[in-house]
Amino acid sequence: MTDAPAGHPHPPPPGSRGVIALLADNCTVCMLCARECPDWCLYIDSHQETVLPIDGGRARQTHVLDRFAIDFALCMYCGICIEVCPFDALFWSPTYDYATGRLADLLHEQDRLGGWLDSVPAGTIPISSGVEPKE
Amino acid sequence: MSPSLAAAEVLVQRLAGPVPATMVSSFGDLHVDVPEDRWLEALRIAHDELALTFLDWLSAYDDTPRGFAVVVHLVSQESGARLLIRTSVPADDATVPTATDIWPGAAWHERETAEMFGISFAGHPTPGSLLLHPDFEGQPLRKDFVLASRAVKDWPGAKDPAEVPGRTRRRPALPPGVPLDWGSS
Repeated sequence: MTDAPAGHPHPPPPGSRGVIALLADNCTVCMLCARECPDWCLYIDSHQETVLPIDGGRARQTHVLDRFAIDFALCMYCGICIEVCPFDALFWSPTYDYATGRLADLLHEQDRLGGWLDSVPAGTIPISSGVEPKE
Repeated sequence: MSPSLAAAEVLVQRLAGPVPATMVSSFGDLHVDVPEDRWLEALRIAHDELALTFLDWLSAYDDTPRGFAVVVHLVSQESGARLLIRTSVPADDATVPTATDIWPGAAWHERETAEMFGISFAGHPTPGSLLLHPDFEGQPLRKDFVLASRAVKDWPGAKDPAEVPGRTRRRPALPPGVPLDWGSS
């Protein structure tokens, strides 16, 4: 789906860096994106939870995402966070019409970043194999 | 021989002396390093004799602990030769003569270099700040200039998701490229 955002007659060219979309389910809170970001514009909060595997085995600690935010007032659209993510949780969307008069409104929180997924070009987001991961 | 190499060789030859000019190729570009006191002479030879009449840009870089390096990129519109002429100035007396007599267009380049690095260009016709506010304090492109946005704000990457409350980490993650003494806390 590379259609232009509503109201824009000219679709952005393929590979356009409009906004960054977040697939929160894939995020493991590894912090790589936040640490690699040259602009310090990624904010992540998390807590730990103990999960018991369904098929037995010992309890494991997992990280649960509490907050994932990108400040597009600081972002320089280098795409390092997307490149560095080992779990395919971040994607480029060509959507660009989110300009605002308030600087604070450029801080996109998790739900807004998730909303950009709809405009990520088809084929970019990997499809699950349907096999449950072992770990 | 490429026009650039030919021009560089002539320039090095013309600047023979007790402290000779030297030539070095770096990333495909030819640099001619000239002594500080022959900076203007080198530029004149380049302009008048080597037809390097187009001043592309003039700038500098912080070469601590060797002071600052002032660099100018010249192009010949006749032969297509391109040359980077460079000189080294000490940090405690960073002064080079202005090139505005040869290229009036060097004025803004020199003003920017002056305010960013604190290098003075002797004889500049219109000194003063170009991009920064006249009251701005400090030289932002010097390596010892503390970047306010990196000193005031906490690094978002410092959070350790595996942190157990009450237990201190053995080795905290540090922001890359930020000197340790810049931190706010």
